[in-house]
Amino acid sequence: MRLSPFELAEPTSLTEALSVFARHDGECRLIAGGTALVPILRLGLARPDRLVSLHRIPGFSEIRAEGGVLTVGAMATHAQVGRSAPVREGWPLLAEAVGRVASPAIRATGTLGGNLCHAESASDVAPALLCLDAELTVAAARGERTVPVADFFRGFYEAALEPGEILTQIRIPRPRAGSRGGYVKFCPRSAEDRALVGVAALLVMANDGRRCEDVRLALGGAAPTPMRARRAERVARGEALTDSAIRAAAAAAAAEADPLSDLMGSADYRREMVRVWVRRLLTSLRDGVPTPV
Amino acid sequence: MAAERALEFTLNGRPCRSSAPAHWTVLDLLRDRLTLTGTKYGCGEGVCGTCTVLLDGEPVRACLLLATRLAGRALVTVEGLERDGSLDPLQAAFAREGGAQCGYCTPGMLLAAKALLAERPAPTEREVREALSGNLCRCTGYTKVIAAVLAAAWARG
Repeated sequence: MRLSPFELAEPTSLTEALSVFARHDGECRLIAGGTALVPILRLGLARPDRLVSLHRIPGFSEIRAEGGVLTVGAMATHAQVGRSAPVREGWPLLAEAVGRVASPAIRATGTLGGNLCHAESASDVAPALLCLDAELTVAAARGERTVPVADFFRGFYEAALEPGEILTQIRIPRPRAGSRGGYVKFCPRSAEDRALVGVAALLVMANDGRRCEDVRLALGGAAPTPMRARRAERVARGEALTDSAIRAAAAAAAAEADPLSDLMGSADYRREMVRVWVRRLLTSLRDGVPTPV
Repeated sequence: MAAERALEFTLNGRPCRSSAPAHWTVLDLLRDRLTLTGTKYGCGEGVCGTCTVLLDGEPVRACLLLATRLAGRALVTVEGLERDGSLDPLQAAFAREGGAQCGYCTPGMLLAAKALLAERPAPTEREVREALSGNLCRCTGYTKVIAAVLAAAWARG
């Protein structure tokens, strides 16, 4: 089955892309890797008159670490991010999360920027980026602005982008020394499926080895958008991280989750799975053992 | 009808000049213009994996990739696996181990496995399972597919 015909622009600079994308004739969509958009087109859920493909813009998939900040070009694929030596060395939580995206062929095509702009609640990379306090650079013809990733997910499949804006870079400060990060993805059907729930955490234990000095916790599939579980963080932060403290944090995460029901699972089941997987992840990070699968 | 776009790329080791309308995918181009029908149409949404091909050595879904993305790059399809009339060791192992039942998923399985062995010549069974996690077999013949990939790796060992 063919896609419905559309015009295709393939600009070779960001300036050209912004100008083509801002034209006001008919519906226009950006295409990055296409792993989310092409199925949408195939199913007829969108019928744009024009696509603007970003793949010919030089340097748009560059990954570099400088001065304690990782900068990932929006067109870097999940596979490129996962292979990058600086990412693996300095931002292992991000490397772990991109490694859990769908299947190898999707990781080789889908991009970090496309993933974020699709604003899928069960995104595998969004919870990691929420824990890591990523900042997004968004360009428009009138100039650039910076958006904390925590403010980027406006609603169900809706990113905080104004008409004509293009996400260009994801900037991630290096997590503090001694941070332990992990991402768990619960897929009840099959490995390449989207997560029923996903949980990312970044934990810093105090020198006594018992107290939680700092913790970041973020959830996918647990609300209409990816979310930080800030109440659960407050329950655990500063406390001795006993089994009962972890259970209290997991219960807080389940309480602040606001899941939807769909064919994969009911809201009640998702909420219960948030509780279970937050507990398992925090326990494994505290004990320094591999993240549960 | 949308305008044709000229395309030059490497197809199974040989230079290829073709063209496609802007809304065609790599799969449309392969099957309907280049008559390379080894690459199958399964779900059309990137889920089933039977249209998997190698682009610059990486596995990608032909049903999701716009044909224009091929420009200047190297594409390998299942037709490009044999060498001088001999099956690729992976194909031979699939035949020997019974790694194909109805055969519809086989082209995608072969190319996903080809990408794995290029990166990891001696994979563990877990790595084989992970590499093939995006390739669905409706006959559920996974056990022998995995055995075939491991056998091909050992044979090269």
